[in-house]
Amino acid sequence: MAANQYDAIVIGAGHNGLVAASYLARAGKKVVILERREVVGGAAMTEEIFPGYRFTEFSYVVSLLRPEIIRDLELPKHGLKILPLPSTVTPLDNGDYLGSWDDHDLTRQEVYRHSPKDAEAYDEYSRVMARAAKAIKPIIGMVPPDPSSLSPRDLLGLLKLGQYARSLSEKELYRIAKLVTQSSADLLDEWFEFDALKGTKSASGIIGTFLGPRSPGTAYVLLHHYMGEIDGAFRAWGFAKNGTGGVSAAIANSARALGVEIRTNAPVDKVIVKGGVAAGVALQNGDELRAKVVLSAADPKRTFLQFVDSKHLPDDFVQSIKSFRVRGSSGKLNIALNALPDFTCLPGEGPLHRGAISISPSVDYIERAYDEAKYGQFSKNPYIDMIIPSMIDRDMAPPGHHVMSCFVQYAPYDIEGGWDDAKRDAFGETVISTIEKYAPNIRQCIVGKQVITPKDIERIAGITGGNIFHGELLLHQLFFFRPAPQWADFRTPLPGYYFGAAGAHPGGGVMGAPGKLAADAILKDVD
Amino acid sequence: MAAYDAIIIGAGHNGLVAANYLAKAGRKVLVFERRGIAGGQLVTESFGDGFSADSLHASAHLRPDIVRDLGLNLPAASARSPYVCLLSDGKRLTIDADLARARATIREFSAHDAERWPEFVAFMERAAAFLDAAYRTPMPRLPHFAPVREGLPLAGLLWKLRRLGGRDMFRIVRAMSMSAEEFTDNWFESDALRAAISALAIHGVTLGPMSAGTGFTLMHNWLNRGGLAHRPVANGVGTIAVALVDALKARGGDVRTSVEVQSIIVDRERATGVRLASGEEIPAPLILSAADPRHTLLKLVGAAELPPEFVWQAQSIKLRGCVAKVHVQTNGQHGLPEGTLAVAPSIRYLERAYDAAKYGEISKEPYLEVTTNGNVVSIHFQFAPHALRNPDWNAANGIVEQRAVDTLDAHCPGFKASVKRMQVITPRDLESTYGLSEGDLNHGQLILDQIFFMRPLPGWSKHATPVDGLFLCGSGVHGGGGISGASGRNAAKAVLKL
Repeated sequence: MAANQYDAIVIGAGHNGLVAASYLARAGKKVVILERREVVGGAAMTEEIFPGYRFTEFSYVVSLLRPEIIRDLELPKHGLKILPLPSTVTPLDNGDYLGSWDDHDLTRQEVYRHSPKDAEAYDEYSRVMARAAKAIKPIIGMVPPDPSSLSPRDLLGLLKLGQYARSLSEKELYRIAKLVTQSSADLLDEWFEFDALKGTKSASGIIGTFLGPRSPGTAYVLLHHYMGEIDGAFRAWGFAKNGTGGVSAAIANSARALGVEIRTNAPVDKVIVKGGVAAGVALQNGDELRAKVVLSAADPKRTFLQFVDSKHLPDDFVQSIKSFRVRGSSGKLNIALNALPDFTCLPGEGPLHRGAISISPSVDYIERAYDEAKYGQFSKNPYIDMIIPSMIDRDMAPPGHHVMSCFVQYAPYDIEGGWDDAKRDAFGETVISTIEKYAPNIRQCIVGKQVITPKDIERIAGITGGNIFHGELLLHQLFFFRPAPQWADFRTPLPGYYFGAAGAHPGGGVMGAPGKLAADAILKDVD
Repeated sequence: MAAYDAIIIGAGHNGLVAANYLAKAGRKVLVFERRGIAGGQLVTESFGDGFSADSLHASAHLRPDIVRDLGLNLPAASARSPYVCLLSDGKRLTIDADLARARATIREFSAHDAERWPEFVAFMERAAAFLDAAYRTPMPRLPHFAPVREGLPLAGLLWKLRRLGGRDMFRIVRAMSMSAEEFTDNWFESDALRAAISALAIHGVTLGPMSAGTGFTLMHNWLNRGGLAHRPVANGVGTIAVALVDALKARGGDVRTSVEVQSIIVDRERATGVRLASGEEIPAPLILSAADPRHTLLKLVGAAELPPEFVWQAQSIKLRGCVAKVHVQTNGQHGLPEGTLAVAPSIRYLERAYDAAKYGEISKEPYLEVTTNGNVVSIHFQFAPHALRNPDWNAANGIVEQRAVDTLDAHCPGFKASVKRMQVITPRDLESTYGLSEGDLNHGQLILDQIFFMRPLPGWSKHATPVDGLFLCGSGVHGGGGISGASGRNAAKAVLKL
């Protein structure tokens, strides 16, 4: 085969692009993957921002990565190691705390300390949610059919979906129907009374979403986060050895071993279209690569509005992609520390430092944080989810020192007047002073910090709008409708052009499913 | 033997519609009404000399098939009045029912939007027609246990949806879970026009235009109202209730007002009659309650007679009253233009008004919808949440009155000077006087997890309850809320099929 001639070209070496490329290569295809940046990993990457301190710059926890991908691509052999993240602690305003441990009974006791009634409900809630997550999981692994089409493939898909629905109990179906449509606040109000418990749980319903916990649809996002599993154990969150970059590195190693050619510093200019079908890719440096199959693992806006001329796509489709909502709502602070922050609720070094620390004292607290964001301001009292990776993986920071990753909501992409350095600094300062309320020594410990706004996520990771899921997890942007109605099966209106990233079904998180499902679709079409 | 085949609790429009359908089928029915006046939310009341108004709704239209089925002799609805948005800078956006005229005024705000207006109205009408069909379709229990007989109507509905074509089908389904803010953004660029439409989306519900699911409430309200603006009923909406009572009496049914049902008598999981506040017991083999589901199940039946899990579900029905009405008798010099006026100058304005309700406060800058009838000005005020953080309702009444009048006066200077007398109805009054739990006009919020097969509760969308012989026919079941009579019709049809 001539140079620059491939069976498939994958655009973007994020974890989904890497997964797709690996599966294609595994099926014997000659694959090249093109990455704009000098490193692979996309939003799942680890960087040494300050000498000696390594950060998972954007995404920071793992749990959604599909077990079959880990198996198929032999990721443990290629260096993947997931370390458990055993707890979540929510410091309270009265100096107390609410802990959630990896032991169900301990957590129940902890909840009992705050509310005996909630402790009672907690057992049943955990059971119901785990069952709902399990019930919805096979749907996540399905290729969404087009309900308006009469093609055998789509009809078969609909039939399969119907059959699966029939296999569930009536109760399960209603539970899912409610979870998909409810607000997370309403869901939690049905079960619990303790504010901090509801606040902390509702936070999972807003991550990556531009909605408050009182808006319908957020219970689904909560469920999305409930679906994480490590080694088959549901609801476990973990931290990858060497950060999420460790995940990308493992997949990249696997890809290379399977014969995938990885080209970094290779930004794509356009997808080449010949005779109405995708025929290759033109790079910004003028190089042209040929292949019958082009798969984009970039976000939907760049995939369809930038890489391809609109004239090759139907107007309705272009309109759908244009109105696809990708409003970034989260920011991050990566902090280098010379000592551990001391939390007043649990003084000294303790188990809380090894897990997540969540600033989410109540549903109202988070809802008010959202209120500011919807009018174009970052939250004055934001929701913060902190972890200290160096406590889990000592290689992340110099001995005795630490790195802390703070996921912050809300920071709207469309901030009033636009983001600038002054606003970024003010945002960082707001986060630090919020943490300071619970860990007064935080300021003295800081030796360096990096503040990331949605604008920065867009600039660095190349995600339009800076939305961590490449597109909000809104009901009308899921399943059949992700990224656009009639095109949720990883194919696109341009023959030969495929789409397999977080903007496709089943959505974001370091999960890998869109990449795998897209590769499946390609293999079905070309073989 | 019981003297009646069926007892209906509550002479609201749905109770009366259900009673009429049953009477038409030859059943002997008796309707009990707690108040001295029949009609429920459909009443025109006097608040003093020369001061009467449609208490809660400025217009009301039963579904045409109900009017036909029941042979009701209703006054023809007046022509649709223009919808006039009062904007912050003293400007007005007038949207006339006439498409050409509406386009001309919208063009002052955006030529692009003016172009799209007729297409938008046509789409909304198709969406409303689909929703109407959905509200006529009995919602089966989910597939697992549903016999084919139940699945067929639903399959018919889905086929109807499919026949609309891929484009409309996706648009309608997706719009339901969108926020009004997003839905209108897909059509229009002018914030004033988007706010005008969003106001209808949040009318009567405790949601803001940025809440997901307000795309659905927009379609729902559009269907019930028939468009953006009201078509007032000549001589008041109460005439519809009167017509329903007359028709019922002509069919041999009876309505007893000023009689409160205290409880539903349950014997071995079967409803056998009702017990009145006077202690009198009236037996009947069929009981239909037009009261809201929570009141019916937890108060009239009582938790002791119901399965524990069902009780827990019934307790979780979301009822959230947020509407207050302020009726104002003026000296005639109120200076307000004709039509349906809305103080909804921007989407953010509406959203901020809603923000207050989330935290149990009365909106400082409320969304108002105003109609006039001679000297009388009626103001629909949102948001005045039933769940007030500081539940001092005497103070709240004053606050609502003052903010309603001041807000309107700011847009129409001189209005305040014309005020003679006021009558305010808060969610607290809606609960105590009109019998609406938590003052919720819809008997349960119109949120995505409380509609279609999940209304009033998942698994109980067929009007039946765990108590044999007891059925629900009010706004809280499939077809409701709002004024359409669909719930009453659906319940009666379900009962008659037994």
